[in-house]
Amino acid sequence: MLLTAPNEPAVPAEEAAVSLSRVTRVFGVTPALVRVDLEVARGEVLLVRGPNGAGKSTLLAILATVLSPTYGSGSVLGFPLDRGRDEIRRRIELIGHTTRLYEDLSGRENLRFWARLTGLDPGRVDGALESVGLAAAADERVRGYSQGMRQRVAVARATLREPALLLLDEPYAGLDDEAKEAVDALVARTAARGATVVLATHDPTRGGSAGRTLYMDGGRIVPDPTAGGPRP
Amino acid sequence: MTLVRQAGTIAAKDLRIEVRGRHALGTILPFAATLLIAFGLSIGPGRTLLRQTAPGLLWLAMLFASVLAFRRSYEAEGEDGALEGLVLAPIDKAAVFLGKAAAVAAQLVVLWAAVLVLVAALFDVSLGGDAGIVVAACLLGTIGLAAVGSLFGVLTESPRAREAIVPLLVLPLAVPVLLSGVKATSLALAGLGSQAGGWLALLVAFDVVFLAAGTIVFEYLVED
Repeated sequence: MLLTAPNEPAVPAEEAAVSLSRVTRVFGVTPALVRVDLEVARGEVLLVRGPNGAGKSTLLAILATVLSPTYGSGSVLGFPLDRGRDEIRRRIELIGHTTRLYEDLSGRENLRFWARLTGLDPGRVDGALESVGLAAAADERVRGYSQGMRQRVAVARATLREPALLLLDEPYAGLDDEAKEAVDALVARTAARGATVVLATHDPTRGGSAGRTLYMDGGRIVPDPTAGGPRP
Repeated sequence: MTLVRQAGTIAAKDLRIEVRGRHALGTILPFAATLLIAFGLSIGPGRTLLRQTAPGLLWLAMLFASVLAFRRSYEAEGEDGALEGLVLAPIDKAAVFLGKAAAVAAQLVVLWAAVLVLVAALFDVSLGGDAGIVVAACLLGTIGLAAVGSLFGVLTESPRAREAIVPLLVLPLAVPVLLSGVKATSLALAGLGSQAGGWLALLVAFDVVFLAAGTIVFEYLVED
């Protein structure tokens, strides 16, 4: 990638999975993201680090089209953020702070619902649940699942289709080791088939497969203070 | 066809959750029954007055009870961020509105059946020969209420929303349904069902307007 310093070569827009230009997002009067320039090449695994409130979640929410930039422009997978929302959503998967599951449905029912809703083959649900080690608990209601089990269902949902861009926002938070390994396996599988991954986490033990690390603080991309380089 | 399939999938999911949670039976029906009993007690024992006020009390009870159903319909979407999933899903957002409206309408139809029986027993009312008019008014009113409630119920999941936003928005907008429903039901109970056509037509118009409006504007309510 290439972060956006003006003297660095930029990946041509048609080849970039993500291209942001001076993207700013303001909540009320509070800026969450400030003039962010970012290029992520197709097939790249990008790790985004930074303290709480650094703007990582806002950045991923904008890439996922959950939020719109207040200022600035950009594209994801070649589709502009402002006019290509539907096209982007067909090609991405977001695993975020919440698992977006229905508490009164079982893990299997949740995945079948998503498969039917989005036109995927519900026959792939059982295999997806097996791949995250949840076959035995597939018919239990999600209300009784641990956070780790919920996140594994979310990982299984992400495997139902093969997104061109996988966005993960603090996917390890509150997880047991088994669930963390399921997330790592998803990242590895996604990268292995040439898709792009953007992983935001402040867990220093994760993200080892990333090709590049980006550090954020105060809504801006800054040099990584843990890398020993000069701070801005 | 895709829109219908997606809406049907969402409606089936909502009804499955409802059957599991038994919210309509466990909470909304007792609430409607309590309202009817309280209304009856406040009016007093006079049979004539009870019969005359029965249509209004019936529709008021259903209107207030339906607000609970709208609120519940979106509660499940907020429990673990599921609404964000629906927003991000590559589907027509109108399917979410139509699916939720269909599920709420199905629940309200069950509620209507129970409440009509209760009103007949508590207020000594007989549907008589114009029962078809009452049923038509209830069904048309249900569609209109479900459309309004499913359109504005989503606002309860907004980070800045207040608990009272649904009743504040829905109750004033539902006044045409309330008036038309009460009038059509009153005429039917008085044996004058043949004169209720205008009120039923008003209910149809309301349904068409709010189903169309919801289909068009729902996307703008749920997006950033």
